[in-house]
Amino acid sequence: MQGKRKALFRAKSYINVRMLLRVIGWLLLTEALFMIVPCVVSVLNSESNFWKFLLCMGVTAACGAGMVSLKPKSREMGKREAILLTGMIWVILSFFGMTPFLLCGTHESVTDAFFETMSGFTTTGASVLNSLADVPKSILIWRCVVQWVGGLGIILFTLAVVPMLNYQGGMQLFNAEVTGITHDKLRPRVSFTAQSLWFVYIGLTTLLILLLNFSDMSFFDSVCYGLSTMSTGGFSTSDSSIVEEGSMYVKIIFTVFMFLGGINFSLIYKATRGDFRSSLTNDALRWYVAIILICYLLLCANVWSQGLVHEVDDLTIDPLFQAVSILSSTGLTEPDFHDWGPLATVVLIVMMVMGACAGSTSGGAKIDRFIILFKFIKNEFYKMMHPNAVTTVVINKKGTPSAVVAKTLAFLFLYIIVIMIGGSLLVVIGMPLKDSFFICLSAISNTGLGTDITGIQGNYNLVPDVAKWLLAFIMLVGRLELYTILLLFTPSFWKK
Amino acid sequence: MKIVIAGAGEVGTHLAKMLSNENQDIILIDSDQEHLDVIDSNYNLMTWNGSTSSVASLRDVGVTSTDLYIAVTPYETRNIVSCAIAKNLGAKKTVARIDNHEFLLPENGAIIKKMGVDFLIYPEDLAADEIALALEHNWARYWGELHNGGLLLIGVKLHGDSPLLNHKLKDLPVKDHNFHVAAIKRNNETIIPGGNDDILRDDILYFITTPPFIQEVRELCGKKKRVIKKALIMGATRIAERFATRYHDKYHLKIIDNDRDTCEKLAVMLPDCEIVHGDARDIEVLRDINTAQYDAFLALTDASETNILSCLTAKEFGVPKTVADVENLQFVSQAESLNIGTIINKKLLASSHIFKILLDADEANAKCLALADAEVAEMLVRPGAKITKAPVKDLRLPVGMTLAATVRGDKNMLVSGNTRIEAGDYVVVFCLSGTIHKIEKWFN
Repeated sequence: MQGKRKALFRAKSYINVRMLLRVIGWLLLTEALFMIVPCVVSVLNSESNFWKFLLCMGVTAACGAGMVSLKPKSREMGKREAILLTGMIWVILSFFGMTPFLLCGTHESVTDAFFETMSGFTTTGASVLNSLADVPKSILIWRCVVQWVGGLGIILFTLAVVPMLNYQGGMQLFNAEVTGITHDKLRPRVSFTAQSLWFVYIGLTTLLILLLNFSDMSFFDSVCYGLSTMSTGGFSTSDSSIVEEGSMYVKIIFTVFMFLGGINFSLIYKATRGDFRSSLTNDALRWYVAIILICYLLLCANVWSQGLVHEVDDLTIDPLFQAVSILSSTGLTEPDFHDWGPLATVVLIVMMVMGACAGSTSGGAKIDRFIILFKFIKNEFYKMMHPNAVTTVVINKKGTPSAVVAKTLAFLFLYIIVIMIGGSLLVVIGMPLKDSFFICLSAISNTGLGTDITGIQGNYNLVPDVAKWLLAFIMLVGRLELYTILLLFTPSFWKK
Repeated sequence: MKIVIAGAGEVGTHLAKMLSNENQDIILIDSDQEHLDVIDSNYNLMTWNGSTSSVASLRDVGVTSTDLYIAVTPYETRNIVSCAIAKNLGAKKTVARIDNHEFLLPENGAIIKKMGVDFLIYPEDLAADEIALALEHNWARYWGELHNGGLLLIGVKLHGDSPLLNHKLKDLPVKDHNFHVAAIKRNNETIIPGGNDDILRDDILYFITTPPFIQEVRELCGKKKRVIKKALIMGATRIAERFATRYHDKYHLKIIDNDRDTCEKLAVMLPDCEIVHGDARDIEVLRDINTAQYDAFLALTDASETNILSCLTAKEFGVPKTVADVENLQFVSQAESLNIGTIINKKLLASSHIFKILLDADEANAKCLALADAEVAEMLVRPGAKITKAPVKDLRLPVGMTLAATVRGDKNMLVSGNTRIEAGDYVVVFCLSGTIHKIEKWFN
């Protein structure tokens, strides 16, 4: 028997395919685990499509198990593998996740089903379904489960439960998936950090479902809305707007939890551990609150000037609900929002671009980056008058290194480029100019609102098929914060 | 176990990387964000930018619930203050790196303890010990003692005159099983050998043996015993100073340094050593002081490259034993494959010392470090463990590990195919680094 060797100067493999497949296997198993929910719902409602879900789950689990059983030569995973995996996994999971839609017949084409699933995973909340009235409950809850999982990220969930990933490679995955400029680690090991974040997420979702259940909402609706609201996704269970039916109580609950969904989860985690000081002194959180208040006032003024004030609600909770819903990229709207007028639309666009705090489930370019941008611009103006002045961008009482500032500026610029290119392509495909840019922005910020053709609630049924694939791609680019996906298209990434 | 490491210098970083691969919760503190950035994004540990001697920052890090607090910044006083704060905040055990031998004296132990420091690390002192060991057993490349010297780990480079050469491991020309070849290092490659592996010229063999058979191992390797009397030290660094202070009675020492002030200071401190001002990289200087007559050449300057090259020069002069201080980790392996007797690395010494402290705190699995990419572990066999089920040869143990020896009660014995491991034994296991988790399940 020959002994086993280990060389110190071994060449690093170009891409560790086996390890990559193995991790994908784990992620598929995780997805299969979540498919249990619609299975249970279909059994409880004695729907005929129980076996269809079982089939989807079986196939997903079998593929996952097959991949997990691969024995990689080395467990090493570098940056290249992590980025490739993060980019690919969202597409692969969407392909597996769309099977129930196809089998149950709610979506006719692969395009529609894929669009719907990607819109779910990226918490965009744009739908191609014309009417939700005839859709089975199991499908409704599956849409919401998909959003909920996508909100914090399925990789993060897998990191929390699969001990195999609790090492360097897992670290790389964490960095590639979690939103934000820098990634705070809550606890020393990446699996514990992931567990802490999921602990907050599950805790808040459970609380939301319980609170909604106290209202006149049915338990099923409470669960669905709980899942889709906490993830700031915005899939609903009925055709009529939730706000239309909902009481004042429901609106307040929604507003509060959409607001929480837009806060950096590590701050919430720290608050649950009794550390409120970090939240109170956090710049991004302060800006978040300030922006909501400003938008609220603008929307109030707008509603007032348009003469839409009929009840107290119209000036109190309704504009606030609307502001939080858009800024946190949930995308739930007031029923009469399309009458609110041009100022409202402008406020809405600005809020869509901004998004909420980094490290939350929301979309958009994130407030944290705008703080850097504004402080940087302010410094630049100051320096024009005082050329010798030394300035730094101070956030949370800490200086931001100029490398981070540069990265942030590049990010925002890239964001604009993606919107420009995406919007232009949609125009070429044949969409109207205003719609093109609006839904492109809506897709990249994972809000899911639409305008003229799609209607404000974002029904994408009339959008051409090519545009749906393009939008699904843009949603993914937005969810993984540009670099992770766009990097895959650069030659330097593939160079040996 | 939660471990906080203060100071992301070379020792701190190395230790953090190592421990993070060991399923420990590591928090690394440093006041310089740049030191932390690289390690933060690539290793499974948490970094914290803050002062290591600020109460507020240590409290934020959660020192109150720390099992082990390790202060390894380059500054002794800062380390001690840092440990004192940590201890008072509730850290269970503290370790401070120092550079003053006074603290190590037994009579000063109480003072240190009162200040809140449980263990001391003095890397230069450890290096001095290591050098002394290398000179004492100068035929070996590596000399490690386990269980208070009951078991020995000896690394030897085989040259042309060893009877073991070109034999397979299973049919070595020996009658009794008095030693165990636990690892072979060949051209930057570490091999955990099986019976069919050959022994080739220029291999470094790592033997596990017990003290009575040292001579047999030495003779099998074709090495002669040599007593070292005169040693030439290049570079009046802190290691050199420490070594000279402790061992100037035992050896006749000559120290060369190219800085006159340092030389003068040393001449006052060490009146019975010869101090020479000159550049030891200059061949004329070496010839002048008649390098060839020395038994050992110790290259201890701060520059690893200089040390490696000077040792090679000294070999050319015919100095039988050379020792080089190599601080760049990536050079260690390169230097080992060159013709240099012993390599000293303060970082590795300090971190393996801290590892030993860790063992005392965490009884589950003992472990000590010896080689660049192999690990030597001491495992406690639990009752009912898989490894006790049959004699070793029938166990189908995984490839890449070898059981070298076992300690049963006070008795140290080598493991052969017919040995049956019993519960309560401490087994010395060799494995490639990173594979230890596969082995653990055999012992629990």
